[in-house]
Amino acid sequence: MAHWTLLDRRLVIVTGKGGVGKSTVSAALALIAAREGKRVLVCEVNAQERVAPLLGAPPAGGAVREALPGVFTVNVTPHEAMREYGLMVLKFKTIYDAVFENRLVRYFVRVVPSLAELVMLGKILHEARAEERGLPRWDLVIVDGPATGHAVQLLRVPSALLDTVPGGPLRHDAQWMEAMLVDPARTSLAIVTLPEEMPVNEAIELDAQVRSVLGIHRGALFVNAMPEARFERGEAARLTALVAAPPPLGPAAQAGRMHAVRAEQAARYLERARAALDLPATVIPLLPVTAWGRDAVEEVALAIQAGGAR
Amino acid sequence: MSSLGDDLARRRIAVCVGPGGVGKTTIAAAIALGRALDGARALVCTIDPARRLANALGLAALGNVESRVSEHKFAEAGLRPKGTLFAMMLDVKRTWDDLVTRHAPDPARRERILRNRLYQQMSSALAGSQEYMAMEKLYELATDRDYDVIVLDTPPTAHALDFLEAPDRVLDFLGNETARALLAPAAAAGKLGLRLAQLGGGYIAKTLARFTGQAVLGDLGEFLQGFQGMYDGFKERAAAVHELFSRPEVGFVLVTSPSPVAIGEVLAFHERLHAESMPIAGVVANRVTPDLWPSGKPPSAAELSRALVAAGAPDGALAAKLARTLAEHQALAAEERRALERLFGALDAPRAVVPRLETDVHDLAGLARLCERL
Repeated sequence: MAHWTLLDRRLVIVTGKGGVGKSTVSAALALIAAREGKRVLVCEVNAQERVAPLLGAPPAGGAVREALPGVFTVNVTPHEAMREYGLMVLKFKTIYDAVFENRLVRYFVRVVPSLAELVMLGKILHEARAEERGLPRWDLVIVDGPATGHAVQLLRVPSALLDTVPGGPLRHDAQWMEAMLVDPARTSLAIVTLPEEMPVNEAIELDAQVRSVLGIHRGALFVNAMPEARFERGEAARLTALVAAPPPLGPAAQAGRMHAVRAEQAARYLERARAALDLPATVIPLLPVTAWGRDAVEEVALAIQAGGAR
Repeated sequence: MSSLGDDLARRRIAVCVGPGGVGKTTIAAAIALGRALDGARALVCTIDPARRLANALGLAALGNVESRVSEHKFAEAGLRPKGTLFAMMLDVKRTWDDLVTRHAPDPARRERILRNRLYQQMSSALAGSQEYMAMEKLYELATDRDYDVIVLDTPPTAHALDFLEAPDRVLDFLGNETARALLAPAAAAGKLGLRLAQLGGGYIAKTLARFTGQAVLGDLGEFLQGFQGMYDGFKERAAAVHELFSRPEVGFVLVTSPSPVAIGEVLAFHERLHAESMPIAGVVANRVTPDLWPSGKPPSAAELSRALVAAGAPDGALAAKLARTLAEHQALAAEERRALERLFGALDAPRAVVPRLETDVHDLAGLARLCERL
């Protein structure tokens, strides 16, 4: 891809079905950007933290923490984000405490639909546009987003608020948040999928929703864990006949056949994803059982760079 | 220890729980099919089935109503069930609307709630709403219908435990007396009312309104007022669901893949079920890589090359690829076995290991093969 500049934006949102490898891809993108000299923040959204551990660092929790040189992580939680937001609006901690530690108010904060999402998204977008001494605080903010449905819910909050809230600070915040989200120069969204039926279906549905509901620029498709096409068609056919052979040939042919069938199906789902999604696609090979963690992230980063994406 | 299948045969309700992407829906369908084949009148209630599985169950165009899987579908699959199989897909919004309709004292009240903006958002977007409605629907099916067995698939949650807590969270929202008392007069007066202003010398009210705008608080007040009087009905019902879930005729089936992340989640879920004395039917490890070389080091390329020659099909390149493939396959199988040992070591419950099949299960024949493993 000649001029693909996903990582030149200020904010990259990574999403896809649960279990497809969003955190691994987010960590790999952060690694690539940091090696280009960027200061990167990876935000997880009220999640079981994965990114820092993947990079071999302890979880950051609610406070920004450097996992590797140039790569910082944070787990954005509603409670912390609300506190920060409240302090920004109310200016004084004593007022915040008096108001927000009130039980009834806590109830409102919890149940007014979307308020938790709004403050979490607000915190992330605030980081992405923050400047210090005239320079951006972060060259790049990567959101290791929630899974498909929850991600759309999260990203839709500003526009939903603009539809329902007539005025006040919430509306004001929703306005700048929405403007930032739909600005293709600053924000792009990457979809991660596996070359399997359900994840590809979900990626296609997600893509449609991003276009029709969210209006956020879609910058990349990552097809993760793609098995290598190791056996040619003729070989695969021969393996079927050899499965019944005595060991060692039978079991080896069985393993080969399973691999061939899986690779063939994966190729079909990859094709389906490519045909249905008009997005630059990067294929990340299925890694053999490796130590889960840093090594896998390095390999994924290599694959992403080899695919021409950055 | 009895097998998972034996254990499930005595349950009237099976609830499949586990992290997203492990094949819960398929396992739920297979359990229901197995009981139908054995003569039961069985129902599977799914949340979001893969399209081809939905087609296989005849779910193409149906929402929230049960439909019988036709005899010709069974015949096509070469199956002769002694019982009958029904399937349905949960429609969260419809289930909410039904619940409101059932509990509303009069049509005017019902309409007022159904038209409320907050209600419309909540019924689709409030966290926990889907989980709550899955439980609600299950209760209705368990009490108002005459199925021998009902298998419930559960929504994919960010945290598996959300499923158990969701109803309480939603009811806590609907039933907050203080909030209702404070907001109700406000809604009636058409503005953010005096009562709220009395609290904390007015500044809490003002601060809240600064955050949310008055319209949101107005909607919330109207919404909570609409639910007044209905809440007790909801609460009783939720208590009944909770009671139902602790009966021995109900069994939770923990479904997992052999990945360490999924297993960690399932163990946490198990701990929680155990602490709450919820009945556990067993655990299914799904999509497990089969062990093709149970003892010793997998064969080398040279050994496989000789075997290919002996089989009359010499091919050095193929032998090398096969050696590598089998070695990788076995390394994965060994890794998964270690992860599963951790799982099975930690829970004392019937278990089933379902190997990864060559193709996705998307027809009745495939489901029937799968349920032989349970």
